[in-house]
Amino acid sequence: MGDENFDAIVIGAGPAGIACAYTLAKQGKTVLVIERGDSAGSKNVTGGRFYTYALEMVDRGLTAEAALERKVTHEQIMMLSGNRAISVDYYDPSFNRVGGTAQSFTILRAVFDPWFAGKAEEMGATVVCGIRVDDVIEKEGKIVGVIAGGDEMYANVVVAADGVNSFIAQKAGLIKDIESHAVAVGVKEIIELPAQTIEQRFNLKSEEGAARLILGCTEGIHGGGFLYTNKESISLGAVFMPEEVARHGRSLPEMFQEFKMHPAICPLLEGGKTVEYGGHLVAEEGYRGIPKKLYREGFLVCGEAAGFVVNLGYTIRGLDLAVLSGLAAAKAILEAASPAKVGPAYMQQLEAVKLLPIMRALDGFTDALDIPNLFGTYPKVAADLFQKLYAVDGSVPDHLRKQIWGVVKGNKLTLRQLFADGIRGMKAL
Amino acid sequence: MSKVIACYKWVADETDIKVNADSTLDISKAKGKISDYDRNAIEAAVQAAGALGGTAVALTFGTPKAKQSLKDALSRGPAEACYINAEEAARADGAVTAKALAAAVKKIENVSLVVCGEGASDTYARQTAPRIGAVLDWPVITSVSSVRFDGNALIAVRRLEDCMQTVKSELPAVIAVLPEMNSAPIPGLKAVLSAGKKPVTEFKAGDLGVDFAPKTTVSALKAYAMNRKSVIFSEGEIADKVKELTAALRKEGVL
Repeated sequence: MGDENFDAIVIGAGPAGIACAYTLAKQGKTVLVIERGDSAGSKNVTGGRFYTYALEMVDRGLTAEAALERKVTHEQIMMLSGNRAISVDYYDPSFNRVGGTAQSFTILRAVFDPWFAGKAEEMGATVVCGIRVDDVIEKEGKIVGVIAGGDEMYANVVVAADGVNSFIAQKAGLIKDIESHAVAVGVKEIIELPAQTIEQRFNLKSEEGAARLILGCTEGIHGGGFLYTNKESISLGAVFMPEEVARHGRSLPEMFQEFKMHPAICPLLEGGKTVEYGGHLVAEEGYRGIPKKLYREGFLVCGEAAGFVVNLGYTIRGLDLAVLSGLAAAKAILEAASPAKVGPAYMQQLEAVKLLPIMRALDGFTDALDIPNLFGTYPKVAADLFQKLYAVDGSVPDHLRKQIWGVVKGNKLTLRQLFADGIRGMKAL
Repeated sequence: MSKVIACYKWVADETDIKVNADSTLDISKAKGKISDYDRNAIEAAVQAAGALGGTAVALTFGTPKAKQSLKDALSRGPAEACYINAEEAARADGAVTAKALAAAVKKIENVSLVVCGEGASDTYARQTAPRIGAVLDWPVITSVSSVRFDGNALIAVRRLEDCMQTVKSELPAVIAVLPEMNSAPIPGLKAVLSAGKKPVTEFKAGDLGVDFAPKTTVSALKAYAMNRKSVIFSEGEIADKVKELTAALRKEGVL
């Protein structure tokens, strides 16, 4: 194999690309990873929670070495309405047995990704950062290489792991330009705080962490907020449906700022220092957002470029799916008897590593989360109910049923609508 | 074949440096990078080597951490790299740095030109080039804006405070270049890939016979903070506020 012909060229040094490169390099394949950012992880705006099973599938024991923040011990859901807030905190030590591998960790991608890329390099992969891949090279209907930084580079397989809105998959003709309903636009801030302060504010022991999804912080727009506690920082973000934002008339930073100033959020951040502020798109359609074809001869699509993200409302999964897809791609490249068989083998591997079965099983959440009332009205209804329950001023309270009905009517909801949304939610899930 | 040496320094990326509450600096989380102006020095050396029909050699003096700089330096065009690996580099002053680099230049042999950046992006002390010249007893030209060669002579244009000065010197010589020398292009993919295959010579501190004891020691390193008076004129009509403001500015000698 000459200098300029690799077994595989991987575009993007995120979890998908690196999982693929790591697995291939470990089996002695020559792999070149080309990353556009100055370092792996520098171009993303992930919240960041990582489910460890995926890393263990790549190589047993990898999690123990990984650059992780806090193990997630507190799963939280929060609903905001006006200046009110309802919080649910699920604490389950069985997810994090002593001596075992914790189920999930919060991560900072600027730390995790360079670590993972370094592991792939240890296996023998070449990772080059700071260079953008401009195009793919096609010969006789096959993808045979890439053009990057003005140079041509050839490989038996090109793996596109370049994230949401994959230009490379577009160049290869597998996907069209993104449509606004298929993605959400997100804002994220990393706010530094001392470890002790974070532990006090979130009721955590050392090394424990909270992962929180927040409804009702998007001014009624489809979307939601997220908050992850890292060792010495908090990742706080919110995602919004771009079409509705355009109609809404308020800018994202404005709405995000208001979210931060919410009386139930602000005290968590107080005294912190913003060290990172970024915006990004995220795939929102789950299983049905996956492109019809994920391969061509000499070409595979992995990770979020292939739409491998699911938003469940109570958690978001993307990083674990990315790793699974990178692993599937590598396995397909390793096992396929001829170049033409790599693509079909990839599809089989996506089933074998359970990526596609997982996404199929969770498909209904896309519909459940499509209920418009979920983002403004229902958080308000919930808060109004709590208000009725907890308000004690010496007056004679109404019968509970009457109170509930009053709240429903007060929010201009009809029984029929409630019933319809309920049925819709039940059907979807 | 003559060699053109590009000296560069591996420094902490200033964007990652944090200022602590007591004004001390936290560089523990800072990534390393090739000092900005030294990228121009490397490019200048590569161009000079081309003009002289020689080869460019990247040379650095640093702690074991600086090893990671070699691939980056080599991807910028030099044919080979030399690395003086010494823990002492962390405490080195201009004199020690120059002695170490000059000793390496002597070891490399057949050197016709040493190119340094005008100053490092961390200290900007502008000591290295003149001191290397002093140790080697070679001519030194600083603040170089452009350079050309005429046989065994170097003709450099220097940017001075209020004029440009053209000087001619025999080779070998030492020059310190300004960033305006060239555009220091970002290395391409093939350049980055080939960098890993280029030869690297590593000198250990003991190989060079240099006394690494610095003559100067850093007693404190603190962030520079501007103490502002933070006066707000909020009382009264706008005209009064303006009067107060101008009066205050006059009192401070600003107006």
